[in-house]
Amino acid sequence: MTTAVPPRLTGSPVRRQDGDVFVTGRAVYTADVRADGAAHVALVRSPHAHARIVAIDAAAARALPGVLAVVTGDEAAEHCEEIPHGLDAGHLGGHHAVVRPLAVGTALYAGEPVAAVVATNAADAALAAAAVEVTWERLPVVLDAEQALLPGAPLLYPDWGDNLIIERDVGPDDFTAAAADAAHVLEGELRTHRGTAAPMETRSYLADWDPAAGKMTVHATTQNPHVLRTVLAATLRLDEEAVHVIAPALGGSFGLKMYGNREDFIVPLLARMLGRPVRWVEERSATLLAGTREQVLRYRVAAAADGRLLALDVHAIADHGAAAPTHGWGMAHVGALATGLGYALPSCHVRYQVVATNKAPWVGTKPFGKDGATLLLERVVDRVAQVVGVHPAEVRRRNFVPPDSFPWLHTSGLELDSGDYATALDLTLKRLDHPAVLAEQRTARAAGRLLGIGLAFELMPESADIPGALVSAFDTSTVRMSPTGRVTVLTGVTSPGTGNETAIAQLVADELGVPMSSVQVVQGDTERCPYGFGNISSRSIITGGNAAVLAARDVAATLRATARAMLQVEPTEEVVLAGNAAALAADPSRVLPLAVVAGAVHTLSYRLALDVEPRLESTRTYRPGNVRQVPDALGRMQTYTTYPYAVHASVLEVDPETGSVTLLRHVVTHDCGTVVNPMFVDGQVTGGVAMGIGAALGEELVFDPDGVPLTTGFKTYLLPRAIDLPTVELEHLCTPAPGTPLGAKGVGESGFSGALAAVVNAVNDALAPHGAALESTPVSPPRILAALQAVGR
Amino acid sequence: MIPARFRHVAPADLGGCVAALAEGGRVLAGGTWVLPEMSRGESAPAQLVDLRRAGLAELTATADGLQMGAMCTYADLLGSGPVAEHAPLLRTMAGGITGGWALRNQATVGGAAMAARPQSDVPAALVACAAVARVAGPRGARDIPAAELFAGAMRPSLAPDEVLAGFRVPSAAGAGSGYVKLKRGGSSWPIATAAAVVRLDAVGLCTEATLVLGGVAAVPVRIDVSALLGRVVVDDDVRAVTAAVADALPEPWGDVLAPASYRAAVAAPVARRALSAAVADAEEERA
Repeated sequence: MTTAVPPRLTGSPVRRQDGDVFVTGRAVYTADVRADGAAHVALVRSPHAHARIVAIDAAAARALPGVLAVVTGDEAAEHCEEIPHGLDAGHLGGHHAVVRPLAVGTALYAGEPVAAVVATNAADAALAAAAVEVTWERLPVVLDAEQALLPGAPLLYPDWGDNLIIERDVGPDDFTAAAADAAHVLEGELRTHRGTAAPMETRSYLADWDPAAGKMTVHATTQNPHVLRTVLAATLRLDEEAVHVIAPALGGSFGLKMYGNREDFIVPLLARMLGRPVRWVEERSATLLAGTREQVLRYRVAAAADGRLLALDVHAIADHGAAAPTHGWGMAHVGALATGLGYALPSCHVRYQVVATNKAPWVGTKPFGKDGATLLLERVVDRVAQVVGVHPAEVRRRNFVPPDSFPWLHTSGLELDSGDYATALDLTLKRLDHPAVLAEQRTARAAGRLLGIGLAFELMPESADIPGALVSAFDTSTVRMSPTGRVTVLTGVTSPGTGNETAIAQLVADELGVPMSSVQVVQGDTERCPYGFGNISSRSIITGGNAAVLAARDVAATLRATARAMLQVEPTEEVVLAGNAAALAADPSRVLPLAVVAGAVHTLSYRLALDVEPRLESTRTYRPGNVRQVPDALGRMQTYTTYPYAVHASVLEVDPETGSVTLLRHVVTHDCGTVVNPMFVDGQVTGGVAMGIGAALGEELVFDPDGVPLTTGFKTYLLPRAIDLPTVELEHLCTPAPGTPLGAKGVGESGFSGALAAVVNAVNDALAPHGAALESTPVSPPRILAALQAVGR
Repeated sequence: MIPARFRHVAPADLGGCVAALAEGGRVLAGGTWVLPEMSRGESAPAQLVDLRRAGLAELTATADGLQMGAMCTYADLLGSGPVAEHAPLLRTMAGGITGGWALRNQATVGGAAMAARPQSDVPAALVACAAVARVAGPRGARDIPAAELFAGAMRPSLAPDEVLAGFRVPSAAGAGSGYVKLKRGGSSWPIATAAAVVRLDAVGLCTEATLVLGGVAAVPVRIDVSALLGRVVVDDDVRAVTAAVADALPEPWGDVLAPASYRAAVAAPVARRALSAAVADAEEERA
């Protein structure tokens, strides 16, 4: 599909529409929303990783100044249903866990909310929360997934009889046959650590219950306002229309603000119980409870003598923490789907086990499990390269799915749409000046310096569809033009702070020929916007953007027809919408201001164009054509829409005396198809690289031997700062997504996985001359030094 | 937001602070450690005795060095001519404090000393400078050499009713200094620090040598480098006196960012680098 009007704004580095509001501190986040008489919530959290709640004595807390209520888990449970699961393991062969807003009976991780205090101000609420006396009976803890699988391990859910949330197989289990003629079979184990995301804005809710109208209004830091409304209504035993969810500006989300978190339900529940507005702002230590990425990945890989991969067999053990109604465990599944993706791998099988331990649960976190798959493959490729004696770049080149082979059906069932991986590798090596860097490395090594070069290929399936779950690959946008030519776009997708609303405005402005200043994009309000799935899986431009383009084309058609009537030309005459005007293509001097045409649609429809329905509004849904929900003969589905990718190169130096890492270069070639706004794309990839480097080097959730988190703030959960990072050197390729109006692919999760893997590979390359290796993350100075000490350095 | 009710007093002089503290509570200097701790609910003193109005921010040159009030911020040190001249080590230390300008403008050297955190720049730097603390209390004023100021992790040797007034710092003009800090990254607290001061005479013989490690034990650790005295110091000398510094650590400090074994392992290279830098600086001072 092509557009008749040449794009003007699409592809341009248009400045963010409301950027000034954010950089001058005037943006209204959820915690800034004013509400007269709002009371404040503080949560009483379990100090123990596993303990039975024997009794809760709230008398002292209730007597403190300003305290309005103390609600225990038992009391809360009477007023609501259990929280619906976004992805219920119990429906897919695993165990269903009953999770209520506040813990009932037993706390399964340190930090789990067990009671809530409501007071007239936040300080009094926090003070009273500390005064709630809980009598605990401590239970044995299990903090390691492998130990949790052993017979006799402490059980989180005694009814289950084990700690296995779910286990599944992805891809045909045919390693032995596929590896029969292999020149090399390598076995290995990779351990990844528990990390999280760190949005600047923590989570927050403001809930207001109107008893007369029977209506709940919730301002929430949520990525999915419509879906939150659906599950909130179910939990609170309300009809959906009785719940109004508004998502104000988000200060980052990275998956942590997907629906299903317990506070999603606690705060509205308290508002209804108290009959007054109630608000809560998450403490940073609670944001840092959310876990992700902790896995043991055991593998066997078979390779031909020339480095071609023949078969891969993986056993993934995911340390999930306590079960949760969020989508967190799905990261293990997506990791399995993505394992080996982009390499022409004849056989790939992943068996994953998602294990419950006494830690706060996994919460869906960018890039949703694909990072483990990338790290695994990129370590495997480097190991194969070492064994066959071929440069790692060449081994990757020999294994890439070739550019003329699309669509490419991967063993997991995902079907790659397009790409040119080898060219991305070439561009990265060229930008790096690979021969020069290799020469520098030889010189450095001769002087005893540990200079490492690491490559990594990342391929991110994006815009997911989970059959049967409220995660769909389509979304809906409305485009509406007023009598004065002002344009409003209402979308079912939301922005986590990335600026996708500006990108959508660019697309619509191009279709209608209006300036950016005429277009307002409205997101995140369940009573204004069409039902949508919000911001997940890098889908906002693919779904909401494409839908807005389709809707804008409908409005443009009405404008063109009306302009023809006003200019008294034949219906075959081409009308160009540009420069806020409608002009005849054949005679641009015959032109009408767009506001005049829009006004005519609204006021002169009986005189002008009786055959045109007088409506400058359209709602369209964009449903990508390549998703397949019906399983094939092997039970596989094609559940992702686009497949952006990148090739990274990291150059770094390790201090052999301290294990400290200095990052010298980071080069990325990225392909997300058609770029709507290069500034936003560069920002996403650069941010993803920073996050991946942070995960590689230092960001780690650490617990004491009893399971109490030690990383409770940014003094201990070490985010990279600007001085820690090299300039991210970006190159772009553009392979448009075939069969889509825009050709755009997702970009919201790009950068992370490749950066993580490239840094881990580079550290290993640096250590290689000493025979040291580090097959676990983070590659932090203490661990690097220990690896060097282990080989006698 | 501080989840507690407490009294806040800010007396106009040191005597008023001592009198107020007699009723208990915690002393508040820059507030960059105490207030976050109270916000997290980890500390709930009934009273805060705020030093900000007590006139303790003077930073002046004296006949033999510096007079530095307890309320001097890192930014004060960085902007001070006398500090640059008499205590360049403190200037270097202040320039590398984690937290950027927002913190340097607010946090105080005295506050960091009284927090006595093992993983902090200040304690070892003060010991290396041979600073002497001036302390006021209900039983009068007394001096405590920096080397005796730290009784243990998070435990200054002051009595609970005493207030730190400031420091006298002898002049290090003409000496060379070196300061090396190992961190996990930009946002990390120090894992290991080494502060060194070296003075050479006109012919290049070492007349004074000090080396103090921070971050690697509960309190600053002074390393015996007297073997350098009377010598023209060469690299091998530096290597020799620092090779076994880990043995001088009674019990290496460990925390969530780095275990004790790591700190013990990096102590020697960090010490060597700081001492080398001090020797090089001293040679430049002499030239």
